[in-house]
Amino acid sequence: MRRLFLLMFLVPALSAPSPAQRSDYALKSDFEQRARTLAARLDSASTTEGIDSVRDDIARLEADFAPHSEFLDRALYPLTFSESVARLRALQVLTYDRVYLIRTQGLKLSELEARINALTGRLDSLTAQRDQLFGELQESRKSLASLREAVRRLTANLAAKDRLIFAIVDSIFLPYGKDLHQVADVQKEAIAQRLQNANVVTRVYEIAADNVKFLDVTQLQGKDYAGLIDQYQAFAARWTGLKDKMTDVAASAAAPPAAGAPRKGARTGAGGGSAQPGAAESAAMQAAHVDSVLEEWHRKLIGAFWGGLRKEFTQAGITVGDFNDGPSFASSVRAYVASLAASKQDPQPFVENLWKQKIDRDWRDGLTREGMLGRTEYAALDRAVSELSKETIDATFIAYIAGILAIAAAVWYFVFRKKKPAVPAAPAE
Amino acid sequence: MTYSQWFAAAAIVCLPGCSTLSLEQVDYGWPVESVLTVSQSNVIEDVRYGLRTGVGAVAQEEFQDSTALRGARLRLLRNTEGYYFLTGPRFKHVYVFAAGPSTLVLNKSIPVADAGLKSPAFNQRPPYVELIDGDTFRRLLSSDDIVEVKK
Repeated sequence: MRRLFLLMFLVPALSAPSPAQRSDYALKSDFEQRARTLAARLDSASTTEGIDSVRDDIARLEADFAPHSEFLDRALYPLTFSESVARLRALQVLTYDRVYLIRTQGLKLSELEARINALTGRLDSLTAQRDQLFGELQESRKSLASLREAVRRLTANLAAKDRLIFAIVDSIFLPYGKDLHQVADVQKEAIAQRLQNANVVTRVYEIAADNVKFLDVTQLQGKDYAGLIDQYQAFAARWTGLKDKMTDVAASAAAPPAAGAPRKGARTGAGGGSAQPGAAESAAMQAAHVDSVLEEWHRKLIGAFWGGLRKEFTQAGITVGDFNDGPSFASSVRAYVASLAASKQDPQPFVENLWKQKIDRDWRDGLTREGMLGRTEYAALDRAVSELSKETIDATFIAYIAGILAIAAAVWYFVFRKKKPAVPAAPAE
Repeated sequence: MTYSQWFAAAAIVCLPGCSTLSLEQVDYGWPVESVLTVSQSNVIEDVRYGLRTGVGAVAQEEFQDSTALRGARLRLLRNTEGYYFLTGPRFKHVYVFAAGPSTLVLNKSIPVADAGLKSPAFNQRPPYVELIDGDTFRRLLSSDDIVEVKK
């Protein structure tokens, strides 16, 4: 009876199918596949709610595979199980921050597109206005006043275009934060597309070329240069920043997907991905084109500046050594100051008429800009010139004082030291 | 001192230096098998463990056709002793190789399935290697035999 009882329980137990077998390799592959899926979901996530659900799924993944952590620590080489989960969590936090930032900025992409379109329209109207202003500039050469007015309006036009193009660039990059390296490839493609749609590189090139043309056709005065130098330096710095970002975006758009895997965050299928094999090369060529016109702008601006300054010396009849940059200008002026001091010539024409009336009044702002002469070097030169003036003032001053003292002595002698009238004798009583 | 005494003294000094240095308790075991696709040139390569070998001889032995394994996905696992276990779909055997200088020398060909394996996989179960196929087929293998069968 007892045997029968045992058989009743043991036979079904032995004949029951064993639980499904699983290979270690399948376990490892399953973990890797689920981790990859979660990373891909994070990469394409656009809402914080979606990212929250991925966070829960990461916790589920960790719980599901925790019993195999010892095996996975060895199998997932070079990462361990906990490192793999930690990496996913870090990606989740990073993605959440990025999406949250875009959301809280309150700048929807559609609004940005509208803003970019509006800015682009204004830029086009400024371009039309620029053509008209260049025409006016040609016509108004006869009258100095109208010429100055045309130059002022054209300068303002170019500066406005400069601001607008970089406002467009800011609008394109703003939603993606400062660190472009953390932006998904699919978003970089979107940026590249917007840059292309807004024709950004061509417009940057046009603005730089307009400035070159402006320098070609305009006779500038000393005080005009400080603003132009500032404009050039700001433009060049912003272009450098834009170029770096464009290179990053273009490299990402052109990068081929890893073998056997879709590109990070990229769309798949017939309509997906707009990777262009030559995008990086094309971007590099466009950037080089802009670089060359920027170089020409710099060359002409600097050439006009030092040429204008040389002309001031020539017009004042003062011959100094040739100069074409800050160091050679400083050296020429110092040499001239030294020669004046040694020769005892009258320094007044140089100090008063040229340095104080022209250089210090009209050219100082331009000269004190970094990359020209610089504030410190200008102050040192001004001091050297002032010393020259001081020495001559001292000698003249002493001569004047001596003369005045002599005249005063003479007046005193002749006026106040006249003989006193003799006291009349007392009448005899 | 006699010659024999000189010889004895020299032997005492030199003999310990002539013995072979060996390291004990080496564990060669891979934590997980590698699944390797046979290339068109009949070669498998494991990047992680830095192993590359031709498998034409195995194909010839198992299927009597040295090109039969092209494109096939083979399972390879090294056990704790350092033997390589190789098998794959349609295989009737597990091939156990020992590593030699630039060669893998067959240690034992273990017959495991007369009808051929369908979707085999190795698991490291020290001191043995577990071979599974589907939900019910399971063998525990040593470097030269099957040590346990479970159906």
